[in-house]
Amino acid sequence: MALLELKDITAGYDKNIILRDFNLQVERGHFVSLLGSSGCGKTTTLRLIAGFSQPQAGSVIFDGRDITHVPLHKRNFGFVFQSYALFPHMTVFDNVAFGLKMRKVGKEETRKRVLDMLSLVDLDGFEKRYPREMSGGQRQRVALARAMVINPDLMLFDEPLSNLDAKLRVKMRVEIRRIQQELGFTAIYVTHDQEECFAISDEVAIMNKGVIEQMDSPAHIFNRPRTEFIARFVGFENFFDLIRSDGAWRTQSGDPLRVPEEKTGSTYRACIRPEDVKIHPQGEPCENAVPGEVLVTTFLGRNVQYNVGTAIGEFTVKTDQSVVYSIGSKVQLELSANKIIFIDPINT
Amino acid sequence: MKKRALRGGVWLALILPGVLFITVFMLIPLFSILFSTFSADGSFSLDNYGKLIQSVYFQQVFGRSVRLSLLSTVLCAVLGFPCAYYISRYSKRKGLMMALAVFPMFTSPVIRSFSWMVILGRKGIVNQFLVNVGLFSRPQSLLYNEFSMTVGFVQLFLPQMILSLLGIMDSIPEDLTEAAGSLGAPRFVAFLRIVFPLSVSGLVTGAVLVFTGCMTAYTTPQLLGATDTQVLSTMVYQYAMSLRDWVQASAVAMVMIVVTMLISSVFNRLSKKINPMAT
Repeated sequence: MALLELKDITAGYDKNIILRDFNLQVERGHFVSLLGSSGCGKTTTLRLIAGFSQPQAGSVIFDGRDITHVPLHKRNFGFVFQSYALFPHMTVFDNVAFGLKMRKVGKEETRKRVLDMLSLVDLDGFEKRYPREMSGGQRQRVALARAMVINPDLMLFDEPLSNLDAKLRVKMRVEIRRIQQELGFTAIYVTHDQEECFAISDEVAIMNKGVIEQMDSPAHIFNRPRTEFIARFVGFENFFDLIRSDGAWRTQSGDPLRVPEEKTGSTYRACIRPEDVKIHPQGEPCENAVPGEVLVTTFLGRNVQYNVGTAIGEFTVKTDQSVVYSIGSKVQLELSANKIIFIDPINT
Repeated sequence: MKKRALRGGVWLALILPGVLFITVFMLIPLFSILFSTFSADGSFSLDNYGKLIQSVYFQQVFGRSVRLSLLSTVLCAVLGFPCAYYISRYSKRKGLMMALAVFPMFTSPVIRSFSWMVILGRKGIVNQFLVNVGLFSRPQSLLYNEFSMTVGFVQLFLPQMILSLLGIMDSIPEDLTEAAGSLGAPRFVAFLRIVFPLSVSGLVTGAVLVFTGCMTAYTTPQLLGATDTQVLSTMVYQYAMSLRDWVQASAVAMVMIVVTMLISSVFNRLSKKINPMAT
């Protein structure tokens, strides 16, 4: 059974509904990311789980218990804010000790646990500093320690690294993942950074307009996107329709295409990455050939990008071939059969 | 923001008018008053202050002034804190609420004092209510005493307290309260541990404003008080205008300035204790 389950959640502010009949399940010990652009509902979902806000309908089940109406301070979830939200009038020690104080943990034990936690996040000797005397990365580690020291049943991260510079972001996400595996907690991580979330998560839920479009392992999402939205998100740029007729899959212009798998049904949307399309001079025989004409040539350094107009739409092609086609060249595109991905016929 | 250097004497031209105005019309008179109080028959002497401090009447007035000002400050803090907290955190119509809070400041203190006379007088609405409800058989004297003066002070200066508190509370991110909550602090504890200590600098600013205001207010104690409830400001007037004793009036004024500054610095010390990182 899932550790956390959101059931038929409806949530929003006043008349502005952000989540409608929203469902999510998180397994114990998993690191799950909610990925999406701003306004997709990922933060709303996280705040709902934390208890900062209440759903208008539906329920939040944790460990078999309905916690929809359990107040924030009784949930025992750790929360790491984008803004760090450290208490500016308290030292690092007092910040980290705050949760233990609320739980009436003894002085000696508090001291030990706080110092252990600071050492886990590599902040030995910082306990007497005030937050404003520290750098962004250090503050975020204090925030992390403060949330983890209470032994939370669930760790929630709200874009915790987006205020840090790029280098530090990479370092910190490795750090977070290391600590998560060391302590074995369950985590839900909200971000809009695709690379970050693919690097850190066991599972990624990609959200769009208040709905989870796909929830899978990063590799699965990357290689087998289920919707056009996801496909675009993970770098597919070429989309076309496949229609089954006379025992073969054909493009809209009727040319037969070899595809990597058999599918039931008769109409599908399909896609292929720019890197997986090969470009040949006109007339050169190749598999799954689509004739076209070069519209734009863009030199990208390591490779060249062509925008090629064809009878079934414009294709983006990235190639490291040394032969350079000029604008107006007649070419043939080869859509490698095993690189074509069928998208579920939703959202088309 | 990067500060640019100004060329030559431009900075002088910018600040000179203001500085001159204050020097000529405030600092010079102030110091001439100060010197006059320390001299008797042309030589240095503390006689003027000695006379003052030994006078039982002055002691009473001094005590009353400080006591009423402190009491009003505390009342403003107690009344202002929840009000500012509500406006800052929960109010959906913040602009309107703020306008309402500062609205009394648009009316002259004279008019406000006269209004209190109408409200608190023998035939005023408060007395009528008390008698009608049956709490008292006869109207009470609510006017021309320390009670009416305190009421006047609080109403006069509460907006300043609310504004000072609002300014600082608005700068406390909601994240902090949420963080405290997620760490196990119920709402009230989060308020006590986080919002309150972080608001203290606003409380101190407000307290200094209210206290200074009460100590120096003239019309309110004059109109809502009586001859037996004199405060320092009315005493200055009495010495200067009725008794024509400008030197004693100046000495009292000096005492007012020193006390106000002393108490303000005590407020500041207190706030440093509660929130060591306050600026």
